[in-house]
Amino acid sequence: MFKGVSLLLMLLCSCAVAAQNWPAEQWAPGPPGSGPALAALEDYAFASRDEATRKGIRTDALLVIRDGQLVYERYAGGTTADTPHLTWSVSKSLMAAVLGVAYGEGRFSLQDKVAKFLPAMVPHPEISFADLLHWASGLDWQEDYEYAPLNSSVVAMLYTRGHTDMAGFTAAHPAFGAPGQHFRYSSGDSNLLSAALKNILGAQRYADYPWTALFEPLGIRSAVWERDATGTFVASSYAYMTARDLARIGLLMQRQGRWGERQLLPADWVAFNLQPFAHYQANQDAAVPGGHWWLNRSVDGAPRPWPDAPPDSFAALGHWGQALYVLPAEKLVIVRYADDRDGSYRHNELLKRVQAAFPPQVLP
Amino acid sequence: MTRHFVRRRPLLSLLLVLLVLLLGWGWQQRVALSAFPDILSAYTAKEYCSCRYVAGLSAPYCQGYVKQYLPISGFVDDTEHKQVTASGLGRTHIAQWLGVREGCRLLP
Repeated sequence: MFKGVSLLLMLLCSCAVAAQNWPAEQWAPGPPGSGPALAALEDYAFASRDEATRKGIRTDALLVIRDGQLVYERYAGGTTADTPHLTWSVSKSLMAAVLGVAYGEGRFSLQDKVAKFLPAMVPHPEISFADLLHWASGLDWQEDYEYAPLNSSVVAMLYTRGHTDMAGFTAAHPAFGAPGQHFRYSSGDSNLLSAALKNILGAQRYADYPWTALFEPLGIRSAVWERDATGTFVASSYAYMTARDLARIGLLMQRQGRWGERQLLPADWVAFNLQPFAHYQANQDAAVPGGHWWLNRSVDGAPRPWPDAPPDSFAALGHWGQALYVLPAEKLVIVRYADDRDGSYRHNELLKRVQAAFPPQVLP
Repeated sequence: MTRHFVRRRPLLSLLLVLLVLLLGWGWQQRVALSAFPDILSAYTAKEYCSCRYVAGLSAPYCQGYVKQYLPISGFVDDTEHKQVTASGLGRTHIAQWLGVREGCRLLP
């Protein structure tokens, strides 16, 4: 009898897995939101745009996936469902996913020294893959786009002294501290990872790898990833895709690296992505760094970065308001593209309103 | 001697000290300073190219998108070759669209 019940339970469970929603060529629609909670979300995300001053919240795309189904999408400011929008630093987390596939193929380990694969890193022999993924290389990098352009390492890397060889430019920075000990957000660290992967795979295989390893298995068709003159993907800044395609990465992460029947990213890789960096100090940045993803975790007793979202929430975040949020507890994936030119947008406010507009479904 | 000069010309002395400090700072920052004027035109060429030929947004939208406080003195969008040239602060940079996966890149 007991055996029969447990067998029945197992069958039920496997049916539940089989019934899980995955996007095919398109996302299947789910129950849409309505009422004042949806209006409150739209009032916040899609306030009227002032193209002259470019002030305020300027959402280009907002898309909500609940449990693998598309429940909301809206576009503005010239962006449509077909626009491969610039993701800026969301690219960093995309590179983490690409690296995850290579990690699953046994091509490197987290404690490997990057200099083993990247000759430019020989002057920094102790920096490991894990250190770069934590943005903790210890390299003396200045990440500031607009307010200190003269000494901004990232502006110099993208537009002037570094643009032909971004990893080489990064590696030429001196160290300010030991690797793995200090969090300092660095676009250079992300491009070192990208260049190391190129040498691991060989230039030819590398050129197609984001597509063969990640985008094609997920059904992502719109991706563009710009490279520097050495052929290294600009992992820090220059991946583009539609909001619908970026949501596929979110669903992959919501389901611990599994896509349908296939474990595309090893479970221990995703666990590393979602583990807070041990030496991060509260309030050093807007969210808590994991392994190239941003986490909504409490550190040193400080409040969570987004108090109104569950503690297991995480995100890929980019300049001017680009965001891919994953709320596993709510089975929500949210893509936001934007052109926010000031700091008025608040992640927490958007997450609060999305959760209110799309509350957990009550099973009959 | 020095003390005498400072007493007689306090304002000039102060200006001289400031000038020395400024020159010292300029020397220290010489690499960053010489690259600085390149930012405006390189940024404009690259981001316009990607806005127009990667994201596929309209020319007027992309003009507004790349607009900065400092003016651009020359701008050419060669739509046939998908090549964007921008000039400003005495420097000129070109971005080239390379392909459907590759997008745009600044030319060296």
